[in-house]
Amino acid sequence: MLGAAAAGGLGLGTFLQPCVADELAKNDKQVLLIWLDGGMSQLESWDPKPNTEFGGPFRAIPTSVPGIHVCELLKHTAKQMHHLAVLRSVCTQDNSHSAGVARMNRGDPKNRGVEYPYLGSAVAKLLGPTSSGMPPYIWIKPNSGGFKASDAGFLGAKYGALALGDGKPPDNLLLNKSISPEEDELRNELRRKFNDRYAVGRRTQWTDANSYVYELAQKLMKRDDLFDESSFTDKDRQRYGTHELGRHLLLARRTLETGVRFVKVNSYHWDSHGDNFNASESLISQFDQPFAALIEDLHQRTMLDNVLVIVMSEFGRTPKINSHVGRDHWPEAWSIAMAGAGIRKGVVVGKTNDQGTFVEDKPYDIGHLFHTWFKAMGVPPDKMEYDNQGQPLPVAHDDCGPIDELLV
Amino acid sequence: MDNTTLLSEFQPKPTKQVIEYERQLFQARFSPCGKFLLASGYDATIQRWDVSGSESKRLNPCLGHHAWVPCLAFIPTTERIVSADSWGQIAVWRYADETPSPVWKNDTAHDGWVRAVAVSPDGQRIASGGNDRMLRMWSAADGKLLKEWPHPEKIFSLCFHPSGSSLVSGDLKGVIRDWDIDTATVRRELDARVLYQLDKIQECGGVRHLSFNHDGKRLACAGQKTPGGGFSTGFPCVLVFDWDDGQLLREMQMGKNDDGFAYDAIFHPAGFVMATSCAFPGKGFVWCWTPQNEKPFFESTSIPNGRSLSLHPDGRRIALLVSKSANGNGRVLVQGVYQGGSAQIHILEF
Repeated sequence: MLGAAAAGGLGLGTFLQPCVADELAKNDKQVLLIWLDGGMSQLESWDPKPNTEFGGPFRAIPTSVPGIHVCELLKHTAKQMHHLAVLRSVCTQDNSHSAGVARMNRGDPKNRGVEYPYLGSAVAKLLGPTSSGMPPYIWIKPNSGGFKASDAGFLGAKYGALALGDGKPPDNLLLNKSISPEEDELRNELRRKFNDRYAVGRRTQWTDANSYVYELAQKLMKRDDLFDESSFTDKDRQRYGTHELGRHLLLARRTLETGVRFVKVNSYHWDSHGDNFNASESLISQFDQPFAALIEDLHQRTMLDNVLVIVMSEFGRTPKINSHVGRDHWPEAWSIAMAGAGIRKGVVVGKTNDQGTFVEDKPYDIGHLFHTWFKAMGVPPDKMEYDNQGQPLPVAHDDCGPIDELLV
Repeated sequence: MDNTTLLSEFQPKPTKQVIEYERQLFQARFSPCGKFLLASGYDATIQRWDVSGSESKRLNPCLGHHAWVPCLAFIPTTERIVSADSWGQIAVWRYADETPSPVWKNDTAHDGWVRAVAVSPDGQRIASGGNDRMLRMWSAADGKLLKEWPHPEKIFSLCFHPSGSSLVSGDLKGVIRDWDIDTATVRRELDARVLYQLDKIQECGGVRHLSFNHDGKRLACAGQKTPGGGFSTGFPCVLVFDWDDGQLLREMQMGKNDDGFAYDAIFHPAGFVMATSCAFPGKGFVWCWTPQNEKPFFESTSIPNGRSLSLHPDGRRIALLVSKSANGNGRVLVQGVYQGGSAQIHILEF
């Protein structure tokens, strides 16, 4: 739905083979990553094991795809299953938050002594902004916002995320009413001159990024409608919910509509070591309702063929129910859901055993998923690599490949 | 009575009798006749033991539930119990039979998780409630639905007043409601909101258990004070209300803010409350506290992770159910097998 990408904006051609860069410049794919920080229980969501030792109290319910069941806590999502693909054989490496968050977001490439970018920065680099000119990577998160350069790793700060704290615009983004657009342009011209003079002889990733952030801000200033919550309909607010994740996913829909290449929405506090089942009731309902509404809306707007939607955490939760009626960290066998661009519809791939303790068939790590997602986005990872100041670096783990069963 | 006197008379002491069960359990209760101990489990069963001898003898379980059985209650004047599961089934069983089968059952008594059942003092009616926010009243004899009405919140706990005139519900938000059963209206609300908290994005806590003393003048409700999300940390807490005027008589807060939920609290005929709490392995208390006194007269962490307490009709024995399930991240295998949790029932004596 979006036009050709502005490949020059982020210097795409300088990092990739020219023929690939031309191909990617036509790419209009977008991505929405929903990150449930702390770890959502797969047994209370995508991979229920009702009436088994570790199954918990909830029922499995049928979905819009005959034969596929999910936990009853996903009652709205169940009706959208014909748009979704669920990978139930995820087996990752880390059972700690600190290592798991980074590894899952970076795709766990082989260690080559560099800090790899998070998926959002990688996509910002590989595909650049869309023709909308909007920032390529926006992160909607609770609490504070700002420009988060740390996601970019070796790509350099300008591929970081522009974070909208609680969905609000960055501080002082919107033009003060006492300043006319003409005066503002004069100010910017002066700033650019200062920046150019400062950068002479010392152009680095950081000075480049600093200028870039100003340019981003200027583009965003022209789209202040993005942040006008009053323009959402009451029906939308009702369908998505007025809680934090509901509001943020509704904003994500609008952000995608404006043409942002990669949108990440974070929700925190999913780490249910205690009282997991009441916690899951409280938390998963906050995901289920707006997620189902979002998938439905993207489909109705004919956006789902272009937008890759991913739902994941740093790991799943233990099958074992501890004495505090909680579930702990479990990377051994869990689920990741996805939908949209390049992804098959209405499928479950992979299987855990009857108890849900381990993967029964082939386990897949995040490296396989990064290959899958890059391929779904139209990026041929076998033909391209990053050029880190002369150091060739594959965009995803060398030993992994895409999961074909998930791809159209 | 002062605490020293109470302790000299009512100090619970462990015996050598410990009943092991291979799966986790929610509640273990002595039958009114004292011969049986029944326990409802995570494994969709109700386990039975004959405890009339010097050693307990495991009996055939009650089979037929579909999922967790979080609650059971004895029906007075009969050898029957009612139980409910997390998929909405309620069943009544003859618990003294060699192989119990349901007298009646209703697979769709509720939509989803039934969290509480209670039996009227005359044994004629069963009240039930849970996640579907419906209070339902059933004929204990045949399971006929007598009455139903909506409840404003998820129902976590229920009990009848000993007079039979009130049904009392406790909910997620820490509201206790005194229901007029005839009119299905709320007479009044008692405030137990300290047992609830919206912690960041998670609703936490709730009134996990309700029980009256023998003459109905005191109501105890169990839960966690300032409950948190994630690790679900908070202070085990029992609130004791004067039923006549609805005033809070005593807030029985125990331990530290990571000692978990008070899952059970019952009155001893002498007037004190016995309670137990459970949190991460090794955490939690058993305590005895008379509402008239500022401090408990007994507290112990020697048998942690308590889920329920039951006083034997002899007034001497106590069944303390505890959870045995380690916490921990990642793979834990014993001889190649992934390990689940189990339960123990400790028999204590005054």
